[in-house]
Amino acid sequence: MSILDEGFRAPGGPSRNRPHGNLAVLRLAVIGMFAVLAIRLVDMQIINGAEFARRSEENHIIQKNILPTRGLILDRNGEPLVQNVGVYSAKILPEVLPESKDARYRIYLKLQDLVGVSPLEVQARVDEAEAAGRGYIDITIATNLSKDQALALEEASVDMRGVTLAITPGRNYVAGPEFSHILGYIGPQTAEEAQVLGEAGYQLDEPVGKDGIEARYEDDLRGQIGYNAAEQDAQGRLITQVGTKDPVPGNTLELAIDMELQQYVAELLQDSMADTTGIWGPATIASAVVMNPNTGEVYSLVSIPTYDNNIFADSRNRAAELEALSTDNNTYPFLNKALSPAAPGSTFKLVTSAAGLMEGSITPSTSYYIGCRLEVKGENDILYEYPDWRCHDQMMDVRTGIAWSSNIFMWLTAGGDLERVRGLGKDVETSATILASWARRFGFGQVTGIDLYGEDPGRVPDPGWKRRTYVGEGFNPGENEWFLGDTYNMAIGQGDVLATPLQIARMTAAVANGGKLVTPHIVNRVVEPDGTTVRTITPKLEEVGVSEEYIQVIREGMLGSVQYGAGARGAISAASVAGKTGTAEFFKKDGSKSQHAWFTGFAPYEDPEVVVTVYFDIGVGGDKAAPVAAKILQYFMENVDR
Amino acid sequence: MSSITYGGYGGRVRASNSVWHGWDRFDYVMVFAAIALVIYGLLLIYSGSLPWYEGPVASLNNPSAKQAMFAAVGVVAMLVVSKIDYHHFIHYSWALYLIGIVSLLAILAFGSTEGGAKSWFTFGPVQVQPSEFAKIATILLLARFFSEHGGDARELKALLLSLAIMVPVVGLVFIQPDLGTSLVFGAIWLGVVIVAGVSRGHLLVMGAIFLALLPFIWTFGIADYQVQRISVLVDPNRDPLDTGFTTLQGEIALGSGQVFGKGFTQGDQTQLEYLRVATRDFIFSLMGEEFGFVGAMVMFALFILLLMRGIRAAQLAGDTAGQLVAVGIVMLILMQTFINIAVNVRLFPVTGIPLPFVSQGGSSLVSLFVSLGILQSIVMRHRAYRQT
Repeated sequence: MSILDEGFRAPGGPSRNRPHGNLAVLRLAVIGMFAVLAIRLVDMQIINGAEFARRSEENHIIQKNILPTRGLILDRNGEPLVQNVGVYSAKILPEVLPESKDARYRIYLKLQDLVGVSPLEVQARVDEAEAAGRGYIDITIATNLSKDQALALEEASVDMRGVTLAITPGRNYVAGPEFSHILGYIGPQTAEEAQVLGEAGYQLDEPVGKDGIEARYEDDLRGQIGYNAAEQDAQGRLITQVGTKDPVPGNTLELAIDMELQQYVAELLQDSMADTTGIWGPATIASAVVMNPNTGEVYSLVSIPTYDNNIFADSRNRAAELEALSTDNNTYPFLNKALSPAAPGSTFKLVTSAAGLMEGSITPSTSYYIGCRLEVKGENDILYEYPDWRCHDQMMDVRTGIAWSSNIFMWLTAGGDLERVRGLGKDVETSATILASWARRFGFGQVTGIDLYGEDPGRVPDPGWKRRTYVGEGFNPGENEWFLGDTYNMAIGQGDVLATPLQIARMTAAVANGGKLVTPHIVNRVVEPDGTTVRTITPKLEEVGVSEEYIQVIREGMLGSVQYGAGARGAISAASVAGKTGTAEFFKKDGSKSQHAWFTGFAPYEDPEVVVTVYFDIGVGGDKAAPVAAKILQYFMENVDR
Repeated sequence: MSSITYGGYGGRVRASNSVWHGWDRFDYVMVFAAIALVIYGLLLIYSGSLPWYEGPVASLNNPSAKQAMFAAVGVVAMLVVSKIDYHHFIHYSWALYLIGIVSLLAILAFGSTEGGAKSWFTFGPVQVQPSEFAKIATILLLARFFSEHGGDARELKALLLSLAIMVPVVGLVFIQPDLGTSLVFGAIWLGVVIVAGVSRGHLLVMGAIFLALLPFIWTFGIADYQVQRISVLVDPNRDPLDTGFTTLQGEIALGSGQVFGKGFTQGDQTQLEYLRVATRDFIFSLMGEEFGFVGAMVMFALFILLLMRGIRAAQLAGDTAGQLVAVGIVMLILMQTFINIAVNVRLFPVTGIPLPFVSQGGSSLVSLFVSLGILQSIVMRHRAYRQT
């Protein structure tokens, strides 16, 4: 013991002088260092503690969103027009991929076997994403995988770190391409959309409606996103369930559209386009609107040529097809022709007649002798000749004028002849302005308000518009003046007037229902998945301002057109049809002259139930459009449940 | 040597030879602080090992049980050492120092690599860190050196010679590479020379020279992983899944504890294993998460108490050698504590220095208790040497 205790007392050991160090410095150091740490802790735990607590929470609570089932779309008879399907995609999360180049390349090669994408392409996309610091975002490398591919991928992905099979909600449009313009399609969000939608609570991989009903009724169709929150440890294992919220499926839309009618009309239009017996050759574009004149329910809205809207979901595999569609600059297949404007031709004469009657330039009994042409003496006594489309050679009142679609009668009604007959107004310009204002009352020059995007307002010209438009490069000085010829052109729906088939249908509906402008709508009812009605689209009507008496005169003229006049081929056996043909001249792209063919009418005459408007870009109204309209009406009267 | 006596009943001789002698001067407060820290650590190790320790709680494999065993070994070692006159250690300090140097050299050749640095010997289940031993040996040698040179560092020659003692150990630790331990050595030297009365001018000049050399050390002397650890300290988001992850999660854990903590075993950063090395380098973050600011203050109080008792030992020391040894040991504990906590609060890059008495790890714990034993030895003998 003692050797350990006091054994080395003296020799060899260090000298033992009295200690003299100042230990205050040491005490200060201890206090100072702990003070520094304590101050730092106050900052971290007390001042910023709540923020760290939030980050800790975020760290380990992961919320997995569950996308809702998108609402269905049914036709008026409850026939489904779309199906919800799962779209299988192969995704890569670059961050999770193995570090080594070799291991990565083995994965890329395996992916080539499984889903058929080139390893170089995948590599390029992964490298690009990592270089841009987006390694934490999934890259979709193949989509629309078949069930077999998806299964194989799911199995193999166990050994491929960073590769996953993703199932996103998709749509299968089952009713046929003739519904594409109405239904639209869904697709991934664009970068700009994502910004707005993200704020609205959308998940980044959630598809959105891109066009048609899918886009217009996005809010109804989407439903509410659900989630599944769980606690996750640092290895990514889920530990405990924290909370869940079931997604709420989207609402079902019941359309006014009749599926079979729509298919029938589309087929009919396509067949008639191919018919080359007319003098102008085959048509390239056609559209038709079938609607209820009293409620605005659209039974059918067809635009030809159309496209298969399933193409967008499979754009990678059908790229060539998509490319061809989007570069077709002759017929623009994606454009809904029922909502795109063209010169309305003689269908516009209904407006001219109504304006004449209301403004007093004609009365129901005013009649003129109409020959082959109208001669108007202009300035300097120059005689201008305005030929009608045929030599009528008879006395005409407004009824026969409509029935035979007399240009001269409408010219006199709208613009007068500057001598004996007074037009709508005291001079050329006021006449035009008055006619334009009546056109607007009938819904021209503005959108109809249908529940679809992309509607064109068409155009109603007037002297002010011409003054503003016909100036500048390419125009002679004074060319922007309004001439009598401009009024005449407008009176018969030529020149600068442009209207969409839907606007023509709406105007026709106003005549059919006794003078009320109706807002067309595709969707009738929004229904919750359990069948509860969310809302019903009610008819919206506004008065055009034409008296019942005069509307009746115009109706008589339209009845005459089908019974004995220019629209005789619009007659059917199932009901009495009233109609109006239209043949509008236009210049084709190559500069040659051609004509648009129109027919718009309603049936039954006594108690109108349906309005039909048919348009072909090339053809003669009475020959091309009227027979098609007749078939549609016949079909409608016999088959459509109203 | 001459006073070896067996079984005598002579008053002073008997008293001084007895195992029971001197315990009235034993610093129980210091030991209380150390054991309180160890118990605090045991709780934290228990909590921190919950996510990964799968064996039964009452098992010797349980990390907290193991730690308790090491603590027991440490306490016994402390008691034994406190009974030994510290002059024996000072006497053999040259030999101890050389053994330290040799073992540091050996580790460069045969050591196990962990976290980019070679600092362990693995003997079966026991890991031994020779730098722990080298620290104490160096403290003893420094104390001996200054006490032989009149007990002060006022002369430049003495100061420079003392540096010569430091350079081999610091250099060897530095090239392991272990930046943190090198700093601890530096601080020990600084503490000892200040108490030994270094002239302020000398210290300033040497500090200036060191600062001038710093860029070269940075460029040539510091391992890549250390550069990375330092840059991650500046911005942990730069590399959130690797080194930065550790720092970031430590910071989140610590901060999220707020004032009162999330509760014992309730820290989700820890329990879900976001916090890495939660029972070793980042045990302070674990403490901060589960016991909050209040828990940290309790721990600080225990450390301050322990260190102040250590300084008291230096104050009471009967001679210069004892005083300087005590100062060195205080500096050793202070710097390890400070660096470890500074890493946890992101004031310092990740270094791999454990929190004294608290972190899991037997080798550190036992050597700390041995250091306390030396302090006790100094306290228990202060009168004996004061008188001469």
